[in-house]
Amino acid sequence: MILVVAEQRDGVLNRASWETIAAAQQLSAPVAVALLGSGIDALATELATADVSAVLVVDHPALASYTADGTVLALAALIEQEQPDRVFFPHTYQTRDFAPALAARVKRPIVTDVVATKDGRYVRPVFQGKLMAEVEAAGAAPLVTFQIGAYRADSVAKKTTGSAEIRRASIDIDSSRIRQKPEAPFKEARQSVDLSQAERIVAVGRGIKGQEHLSVVEQLAKALGAEIAASRPICDAGWLPMDRQIGSSGQTVAPKLYLALGISGAIQHLVGMKSSRVIVAINKDPEAPIFELADYGIVGDLFEIVPAMIAELNK
Amino acid sequence: MSAALRLAQLQKARGGAPLAIAVLEKAREIGAHSLSGAVLDPSTLAQLVPDFAAKGAPLAAQVHHEAVYFLTERRKFRAPIIPPPFQNHGNYVISLSRFVKWLGGLVEAEGVDIFTGFPAADPLLEGKAVVGVRTGDRGIGKHGERKSTFEPGVEIRAKVTIVTDGVRGNLTKELIKRLQLDAGRSPQLYAIGIKELWEVPKDRIAPGTVMHTLGYPLKFEEFGGAFIYTMPDGLVSLGLVTGLSYRDPMFDPHLAFQRLKQHPLLTSLLEGGRLVRYGAKALPEGGWHTIPRVYADGLLLAGDAAAFVNSMRLKGIHLAMKTGMLAAEAAFDAIAAGDVSAASLRRYEQAIDASDVRRELYPVRNVHQSFERGLVFGVAYSGLSLVTGGWWFRDPMPSRAGHELTEKLATYYQRDVPDPDVPVEPVKIDRQLTFDRLTNVHYSGTRHAEDQPSHLIVHDTDICRTRCRVEYGNPCTRFCPANVYEMVDAGDGTKRLQINASNCVHCKTCDIMDPYQIIDWVPPEGGGGPNYEGM
Repeated sequence: MILVVAEQRDGVLNRASWETIAAAQQLSAPVAVALLGSGIDALATELATADVSAVLVVDHPALASYTADGTVLALAALIEQEQPDRVFFPHTYQTRDFAPALAARVKRPIVTDVVATKDGRYVRPVFQGKLMAEVEAAGAAPLVTFQIGAYRADSVAKKTTGSAEIRRASIDIDSSRIRQKPEAPFKEARQSVDLSQAERIVAVGRGIKGQEHLSVVEQLAKALGAEIAASRPICDAGWLPMDRQIGSSGQTVAPKLYLALGISGAIQHLVGMKSSRVIVAINKDPEAPIFELADYGIVGDLFEIVPAMIAELNK
Repeated sequence: MSAALRLAQLQKARGGAPLAIAVLEKAREIGAHSLSGAVLDPSTLAQLVPDFAAKGAPLAAQVHHEAVYFLTERRKFRAPIIPPPFQNHGNYVISLSRFVKWLGGLVEAEGVDIFTGFPAADPLLEGKAVVGVRTGDRGIGKHGERKSTFEPGVEIRAKVTIVTDGVRGNLTKELIKRLQLDAGRSPQLYAIGIKELWEVPKDRIAPGTVMHTLGYPLKFEEFGGAFIYTMPDGLVSLGLVTGLSYRDPMFDPHLAFQRLKQHPLLTSLLEGGRLVRYGAKALPEGGWHTIPRVYADGLLLAGDAAAFVNSMRLKGIHLAMKTGMLAAEAAFDAIAAGDVSAASLRRYEQAIDASDVRRELYPVRNVHQSFERGLVFGVAYSGLSLVTGGWWFRDPMPSRAGHELTEKLATYYQRDVPDPDVPVEPVKIDRQLTFDRLTNVHYSGTRHAEDQPSHLIVHDTDICRTRCRVEYGNPCTRFCPANVYEMVDAGDGTKRLQINASNCVHCKTCDIMDPYQIIDWVPPEGGGGPNYEGM
């Protein structure tokens, strides 16, 4: 059995949970989904629409806000009870926080940041995405984390009739063993954007020339319902905050639509967005490397093309 | 690593009060910042780890085939004999990064603590005595503010500090200045080595092949040459070493390296292959007369930091290991005797003078200096020195620091002063065989915490915009192999300097070669820098 650990926060599922379910469904094994939290019945029902054997709910007041210790205690007990042969996670910040400790606690190997599975092996990028390594877990029953965007959330097979069984796992958590005391999130953390969750992204590069031209990009993003992102020079110049940067020193994203405006396509940028489903590039230079990757390319002046696009979208 | 291992060995063999031995390493992982050709002369290794083969030393291939070529733009001329200093029989082609990592494993197995990700930022001095180092602060933001992750650096006090911070090391640079360790020495001469690791079809070339070239793509007035070393599984190390003593301010070592790869000798080797890794590092090539005083109260200098490199044989790894071992022995004896003053630590210099290090370096003491007079004179003198033992009318042969040799645009080009933003000899970049700097940087695996102050300190950026732009055409944008320095539009029709510090591969060339000597390389937050795994 493959156990997929879904992630939720304040009653909202992380979209990447669905991607991980999709990853598990591609393997020929029964899939169960674990959900941790407090007062999460609605989310369990939502997850039970997926074509899985069961949704295992660990509902405990100690899990109301996330702590690494609480999560490790709950999941270690759940893994002990259910004995899954594999445990899958979305490779989120939260997973990165607790998964190594969990692997040590349950004495199982861990394979991180996986983008595909192949004949029982796991494919993961190495050297900043330049090479792919196929790795096998040493020993049985590994924990595996899946890179965000590697699988498609909308490809999850759903139950055609009814829904999956929702089972409450009887796990008690000794709150005194939780050493962290979560406080309200930092202000910075609340403001920072997680571009990996965006379905559409409009990204700008040096071709934008000046900060004053960003407003036209903002209009396009608004018309598309997209998030704004940028390549490194824009954030270096301070025209957009650093948390909008895509690439090897910024965020890695894989939206449904990635629109690259005036981005030449340095490899440092490409590694952060190359798994996007549809890439559209607008650049003056027909030799720009971005065109080698783009599904649709327009060689031209973005200051002519973008206003035309906005006009068309607003019709 | 050799010093640490030798100390642990001495401790085991001779006993006495237990020593606390610690190694500070700025890289995230042991060996991650170690870059060299590399061909290893195993003589020192056999002294340090006699059973190195049984311990699994990662020696990729024994050298069995050698060639030296003189290149012109399209042709190659093979030297009929291999000049003695180029003979590599019995040596090994290695990945220095792997080798250092292996050595680090032996050191840790002896119970020595290796602290990776902790740069030694400043020396601790009490009067003229070195009493330890201070590690770098962590968690400082771009504008110098303390972030929530702030952790101040730690003072590490030691009876003896062995400084091995490599070519143009930041500690060594400061110590040389503050303790006048270079008094009476010739100016240090440097070169920059740019290297790529390639994977080519396995049957292309036999492992253990060592080729060196002179001539193209360098001009007669420029010192340097290329190396091509082969390892098993189709791995090829290739690189271009150029003296940081060139006259042409528009000279671009990275472009010269790209041109080298377009030579038929290289295209036939690399065709169908792919780039695996990229890196660059300066080399101290001044030789014997440029070695600073290697001891002071509580201080010993070893390895590249103190210029223990044989520029004629293109080798320094075994000398770094040997001086590390000798430094360890001197430190051990001095501590045992309860006297770590300069007078006591002078035994290190005496040990070097009595060792193979001097026997190897003294006869070639003027070789690099002779190339200041051009390739023809340099080769002729080098050949002669094999017979004369390095004699010259004036010894040390007079020389000047490399950055003083760069001529101004108007002097070198006279009437046809080129546009500083356009290469004089452009190279077509195809991203298959030839690469732009930015793509190459990606292949160095370099990473730095983004929100930190620039670790490249330019003391007066007005000079870049005004004087340097006119006089030298911003040579930093060319000699930096990692696209750290960029002249961008200031918005008012002029250009201003932008420092892309997180591209830095820690080669130190800017600190060495800037014509105004206003660039200081200081260690970035611990763990930042390239990842030279396999290089």
